Formats: sequence, structure tokens, C-alpha cells
Amino acid sequence: MKKFSILLLPIVVVAGFIVISRYQKLLSLPTDEEQVKQPLISTQKSRDKTTRANKPQRIVSLAPNITEILFALGLDKEIVAVSSDSDFPAGATNKKKVGTFWQPNTEAVIASKPDLVITLWFEQQNQVAETLKRLDYPVLTLKIEKIEELLTAIQEIGVATGSSQRAERLAKEISTQLNDLQSKFDSGYKVKVLWVVQPEPLRVAGRNTFVNKLIELAGGENAIGQTIQQYPPISTEELLACGAETIIQTAMGTADTSEQQKAAEKFWSRWKTLPAVVNNRIYVVPPDTVLRLGPRLCQGIKLIANCLHPNENI
Amino acid sequence: MTETLTSKKLAITFFFCLIALVAVMALCAVVGTQKVSLAKAFSGPADTPGKNIDYEILIGVRLPRVILAALVGAALACCGVVLQAVLRNPLADPYILGISSGAGLGAIIAVLSGLTWSFWGGSPIAVFAFIGALITVWLVWCIGYLAGAGKSQVTTLLLAGVVVNAFFAAVIMFLTSIAKSDQVHSTIFWLMGNITEKSQSVLWVSAACIIAGIMTLFTICHRLNVLTFGQDQAKALGVDTAATQITAFALAAFITAIAVSLSGLIGFVGLIVPHAVRLVFGPDHRRLLPVSAMIGGAFLVVADTIARTIVAPAQLPVGVITAIAGGPFFLILLAKYSRKVSWLK
Repeated sequence: MKKFSILLLPIVVVAGFIVISRYQKLLSLPTDEEQVKQPLISTQKSRDKTTRANKPQRIVSLAPNITEILFALGLDKEIVAVSSDSDFPAGATNKKKVGTFWQPNTEAVIASKPDLVITLWFEQQNQVAETLKRLDYPVLTLKIEKIEELLTAIQEIGVATGSSQRAERLAKEISTQLNDLQSKFDSGYKVKVLWVVQPEPLRVAGRNTFVNKLIELAGGENAIGQTIQQYPPISTEELLACGAETIIQTAMGTADTSEQQKAAEKFWSRWKTLPAVVNNRIYVVPPDTVLRLGPRLCQGIKLIANCLHPNENI
Repeated sequence: MTETLTSKKLAITFFFCLIALVAVMALCAVVGTQKVSLAKAFSGPADTPGKNIDYEILIGVRLPRVILAALVGAALACCGVVLQAVLRNPLADPYILGISSGAGLGAIIAVLSGLTWSFWGGSPIAVFAFIGALITVWLVWCIGYLAGAGKSQVTTLLLAGVVVNAFFAAVIMFLTSIAKSDQVHSTIFWLMGNITEKSQSVLWVSAACIIAGIMTLFTICHRLNVLTFGQDQAKALGVDTAATQITAFALAAFITAIAVSLSGLIGFVGLIVPHAVRLVFGPDHRRLLPVSAMIGGAFLVVADTIARTIVAPAQLPVGVITAIAGGPFFLILLAKYSRKVSWLK
């Protein structure tokens, strides 16, 4: 056996040399930090942009809100593939699917021969974006977690797809609508809202979520105070103390919400002291306009406002 | 059965297993959700992307995945073999010494801190998971060393590993509960274990480290054989148990930490593959270790191929497939070969 170990030692040493030589080559490669500072559309090698047409003809979108933005910019013919949960507008459901939002299928993306891939900034999509960049596909990565970021993202998409004017118009439209809504509800009584993410165990949206921002724009106030968690589970004690005047629950899936509405009313009826239950202000809303940061944001806010101020005409 | 293991027999077994592994990898590389024509793929890369998608899919996407799966499978299986020998416990798997929770804690800290820099092409999650795993093993080793003495050291180590695992798991739960929803999803997804495409530099470095680790472990295999008789027996036969244990733990922890940082926590491979190979090839570690490495690699490659094709276009986490496929297969092996292994009598 000693002979074996002696034989293996040079192999280990050679392996070590390979590692060291790779290390030296790696030192000259740009780190990811430098790549992040470059414009967000990046490929592994920097290619001469003039050889590529400015207007991409085959766009792949890996998130439903990005798909909505692309359609809103009138790019429906250029979109060749979307993620499987892109369900709005109707034209999106006919496009080829390339995996889910959480797990995009890299092979399917490549098979659609894109000349622009638009992804969101989080771990799973980042990995797919890295692989595509290594293979020299232009990838645009966007961070859309707040309303301001949505407006910037629309403009960036506009620049990347050669439709900056339409993008500017869309962004301006959205921000004007937002300002109108905000000024409408700025003064006046703020309705206390409990936004329920999950009824059992009870989890609600806290104050540092973007849902909270929508509630505030629609003239409401979160019934729950500041918490360290974004979507805290709350106890029954806390629930009874919060004095919520309206309860909004997001529907599961996009099917008919009337059954879920009945179930929700039944569920909440056990807490008869809550103002929301007394006045029967329990609403189940479809999630895609309120939980998706996309061009239909203002529709979502109006939906919430209708729940908060049922007597007003919005 | 007193057939002795000669170098020639070992070399032949090793060679055949290597051929089997390469064949499995090649076969799985051509299976996938998109049809790839081999002729077009081998005609090399095109000048502009999108012209030769067969090449890009086969070489750019599938091959790195298959190679990574083989590396991780080999690393985990080898660790399982070594730890089962040193701890003399058939339920030992690579994560028993706190590596799983240490890596998980490192990963969630990386996700929560939202760092974007990367090191040698690896993402911050991978680096933090690696460091977390190593720190945890060192911690468990310290506790085991200080609290245990002599005979009960192995038991103390196991207990220390369990305690540290539980504590860090609680910390992970706490951090998960206060994280943002997409961070939570990222962490849980990472903890379930998954094989993704990595860059060439990452693959080269990890391949070199894992292969070097496995080869070094191979050099202590004859001592592991003696160690399985028990500490006192081993010492009486002239084996330096302390040095062997330390080497084994350090190397096993190192290569498991690399495997975990690359692919998350993939369970079942490190526990079951050594047993399955032991049932068929016998408990001699000089044969068990290399064959387990090959079979572990092949197993994970097949599991990953199933995971990415069975519910296309979505993908299952690899850990789901390893458990579902490995369990019944192991039961069949157990029924057929149980006469050979003394533990089961």
C-alpha cells in the first residue's frame, strides 16, 4: 500500500500545480464587482454594439411583471418566450414557456434563440443570468422591489428595447396616476387595514413591505405597528387589540374568488369584537394587480381603495 | 469469504467503475428537456450566440451540470464512507458533524446581508456556506476533544455534532422568519439542494480540491480498515488512531464543505451509497472508497437528470429524487445481499 501512496503523491502535487496556475489566470479575469458597475446589459466579452441591431427582435422575459411591462410598451411581437406564470395580458398565455419564476429553465431559454433576456435580481434568476452571460447572451437584470424601482425599470427596459419614448410615457402615466391617488386620499381619515397573507397560521403584511405602501397610497393605515419581520405571524391577542376596520385577504390562485370570500367571512366571524367583522368589511382580492409590481399598479391601488372606502366612487 | 484484495483486482474494479461513470455522465448529458443534435453540437461554437444552440445547450449548460453532479456525489459518498468507518456508526452521513447547519447558517447570513461580490467566480452564498461549514466542524471538534476523553471521544463527538446542529438549525429558523419573502425562498431553495450550472473556473478549482481530497483519503484506507475493529484493537495493531481520526475528519469536512457550498444540502447520497457499495463489494475500504466515489457520482448525475426532466419546464430539487429513488433501490440490495454484512445478522 505504501507504493500506492507514493504513486498518488505526485498526482496530488500536479493537481496542486493546476490549481495554482488557474489561480494566476483567474487573477486577470474581471471580478463580478467590476461587472456590476458596468451597464446592466452585459455579456461575458464586450461585443461591438454596432454589429448587433439596437432593437432586439427576440425577447425572453423571466417574470410576470416584466412581461406586463413589455406588453404595455407594445412589444408583443418581439416577445418569444415568457415564464410560465405570466398570465396577463391574454397574449402572454400563448407564448412559449421557459420554466417558472423561481426556477427558469436555462435550456428552454437558449432554445428560443433570444437576443435579449430580462430577469429579476434574486438568487435563482441570477444564476441563470450568469450562465447566459457566460454564453454571450445579452441579459438585463432589474431590481423591482419598490414603486420607484418599477419606474426606473420601465425606463431601463425602454432603453434596452429601443422604445424609450413609449417607456417614458408609460412611466409618466403611472406616476401621474399615483400622484392623483395619493392626493385624493392624503387628507381624510386613514382606515385601519389588516392585510392577511395567510389565515392559518395568521400572517399579515407588516409595515416595511411594499403592500403597506399601497395601503397608504389608498388612504389606509396598517393596523399592525412596526415589526422586525416583513410578514409577521401575529397572535390572537394582538389581532383583537389591533382594531382593524377592514380586512383584506389575497386570493389563492386566480380562480373565482366568491367561494374564498364566503370562506373568509366564515373564518373571521368568530372574532365578533373586531370592527371589520361587525361592519362586514372583509374582502378577498385577486393577487395579480396588488402583489405584482407592474403597469397595473394603479388598478391595484384603486381596488384597495374601493375596499377601504366603499361608499366613495373611485 | 477470504479472497484477498490485490492491487491488480483493485485497479481492474476502479477502471471499470470509472468507465461506468463516464458512460453515465455522457448518457445523461444528452438527455434533457430540449432536443440536441450531437453532430451540430460537436461542430464547435458559432461566432454569434444563438447560431449553434445545440453546442451551447450541451457544452454550456448540461456538461457543467453533469460534471458538478458527479463531483458532489463523489465527495459526499467518500465522506460517508470515511465517517462511517471512523465513527463506527452505520447512520453516519457527511452532515453529522454539524456541516449541514453550519453551511445553512453561512448561506442565510449571505442572503440576508445582500452582498453582491463574488470570489473566484463563486457566489457569496457558496463562500459563506463553505466558511460556515468549516467553522462548525472545528467547533464540534473542539467540544468533542475537550469534553470527551479517550474511549468515549467518538460518542462525545457525535453528541456535540447533534447539539451544534440543533442550535444552528434554531438560529436558521429565526433568521428565516425575519427575512424578506424572496430571501426566505432563496434560502429554503438552497437548503433543499440543487445542481446548477457553474463557471469553468469554479468547476476546475472544486474538482482539483475534491479529487485531491479523495486521493489523500485513499492513502489512509488501510488504516480505516483496522480502525473499524475498535480503538483499542487498532492501537494494539499499531495504528495511530488519533492521527488517523484527525486526518479523516479534516479531509472529510473539507470536501463536504466544498460540495455543500457548490450545491446546497443534498441528503441521502452520503448515507446510502456507502452502504449499497459495501453490500455488493465488501467492506474493504481500499476498494470501498474509490468505488463509492464513482457510484456516488453516477447516482447523483442520474438523479439530477431525472430532477430536471421529469416535471419540465420546472425542476425538482435533487434531494427529492435521491431520497425517492435511493430508498427502494437500497431495500432491494439489502434483501439480496444481507448475508454478507455482519451488522445485519
